[in-house]
Amino acid sequence: MSQSTSMKATFAQCKAELLRTVRNRRFVIFSFIMPVVFYFIFTNTVGDNVQVGNVDWKSYYLMSMTVYGVVGASLTSYAQRLSRERSQGWLSLLKITPLPSWSYVLSKVLSQAVINLAIIIVMFLVGGIFKDVNLSASTWITCGLFIFIGGFSFMGLGTLIGSIKNADFVQVLSMICYMGLSILGGLWFPTDTMSSTMKTIAHLTPTYRLGQGAWDAIAGVSINWTGVGILAAYVVVFLAISSYIMKKQEAV
Amino acid sequence: MSYAIELNNVSKIYQGKKAVDNLTLKVEKGTVIALLGPNGAGKTTTISMILGLKQPTTGTIKLLGGSPKDIKVRNRIGAMLQEVSVIDNLKVAETIELFRNYYSNPLSLQELLRISGLEKEKDKMAASLSGGQQRRLGFALAAAGDPDIIFLDEPTVGMDVTSRQMFWDTIRSMADKGRTVVLTTHYLEEADSLADRIVVINQGKVVADGSPSQIKAETTGRVISFTAGAAVTSEQLRALPGVIDVEWNGRRVKLHSRDTDRLIMTLIEQRIDMKDIEIQSGGLEDAFQAIVHSTN
Repeated sequence: MSQSTSMKATFAQCKAELLRTVRNRRFVIFSFIMPVVFYFIFTNTVGDNVQVGNVDWKSYYLMSMTVYGVVGASLTSYAQRLSRERSQGWLSLLKITPLPSWSYVLSKVLSQAVINLAIIIVMFLVGGIFKDVNLSASTWITCGLFIFIGGFSFMGLGTLIGSIKNADFVQVLSMICYMGLSILGGLWFPTDTMSSTMKTIAHLTPTYRLGQGAWDAIAGVSINWTGVGILAAYVVVFLAISSYIMKKQEAV
Repeated sequence: MSYAIELNNVSKIYQGKKAVDNLTLKVEKGTVIALLGPNGAGKTTTISMILGLKQPTTGTIKLLGGSPKDIKVRNRIGAMLQEVSVIDNLKVAETIELFRNYYSNPLSLQELLRISGLEKEKDKMAASLSGGQQRRLGFALAAAGDPDIIFLDEPTVGMDVTSRQMFWDTIRSMADKGRTVVLTTHYLEEADSLADRIVVINQGKVVADGSPSQIKAETTGRVISFTAGAAVTSEQLRALPGVIDVEWNGRRVKLHSRDTDRLIMTLIEQRIDMKDIEIQSGGLEDAFQAIVHSTN
């Protein structure tokens, strides 16, 4: 197979992934509408300029909701798309086409990257335009990059959940993980408001660690490498388990 | 002579049970071959192994002289599998375009829409198509790369009569272009009207192999059917000379025999309680039934 055909196939695959995602109602609701609506509700009820740690609530919560949207894109739409592809025979059909498997994986990663980036940009624009969230250019970029790169760990979790073939079960499980990790990780309510036990649990979640990078950046605190390490460890674990499951399913 | 498909002593064992039992099969290029057999005979397992989706337990398989896992080979084949539903949130034309992009020499979108009869549906969401239309979309995807070999696993299940006729015409025109077509079916009419070669598989083994007319000739497969009186038993009928098989449907009995002339005499001599007697000469259906029954 020539290089150009593979590139053409990868590009077409990315395009199809993106089309399928933006047409998925659940994706639009959980990754755009819910974070934006929550952001307006909770900044209006709590007060834009209430201090959390050393930062404005409106800036702090903007990061929380951006993370929430990015996590939602991987857990709801990506995991379910993956599960459906496996359970409905699509993966078998793709295996007999000349599409190389690296191209399939690459297009999944690339399209998820585009989606995550879009969520980050939209959320930052909403915060900047409607709530006057005022951060330096370098802080905006640091926050955005941290969430963007760290967001791939949830692609790992999405892959793990999506390796389960029962699409109905995946829908329930991904929702539980999504809501559970978001609440536990302090995306809905800051961990400062939690009891010390809850705080200990929160600090173990990947959601908290993804938010932490952005929260620290707006507070002017330097990057927490323990947090980065925990997030990276999750990626390794998620990918290791899911590739084990997928290998096992294929060994027929 | 290089074959399009070559299976040598292929077996597939699932949990101790032989789904495919020492199958050897060579298919020449340009053949339309039908794999025929009852449900669970091993047809789909055989196709899956030829396509490289399943590993044979023993034996070797060659597809276009190479491995089905080789991307160069995959560029020249297409398949319509069972139990594949359409991809969600993509339109018909978008799905076909996606598949066209996988191949180095695809057919045009227009051509694919035409041969699958989906021109009017091209802007519909694939998931909103009827079952028969979804099968036709599956066919368009199988044909997307203008394959040298196309595999069709129970292609016309769920299609209405007109769709089926149109589909058959398409298969014939592919065959005319020198393509190899492998189809599995349990519609005998389909195998009879399309295939140059029919391979009957039962319990994982080839039990008959030949042109449709050879298959029909091999088994004289004639049948006597009648409504049996209350006293008639299966054992009694089976004991009669020349009876190959006995089938019951309520009190209606079908006796398979190679020599129905002699059998009818015997039935009368033995004063078997019969009503509404019919004697049918074998079509492919009967030949098929006879082959399957005699190998069970």
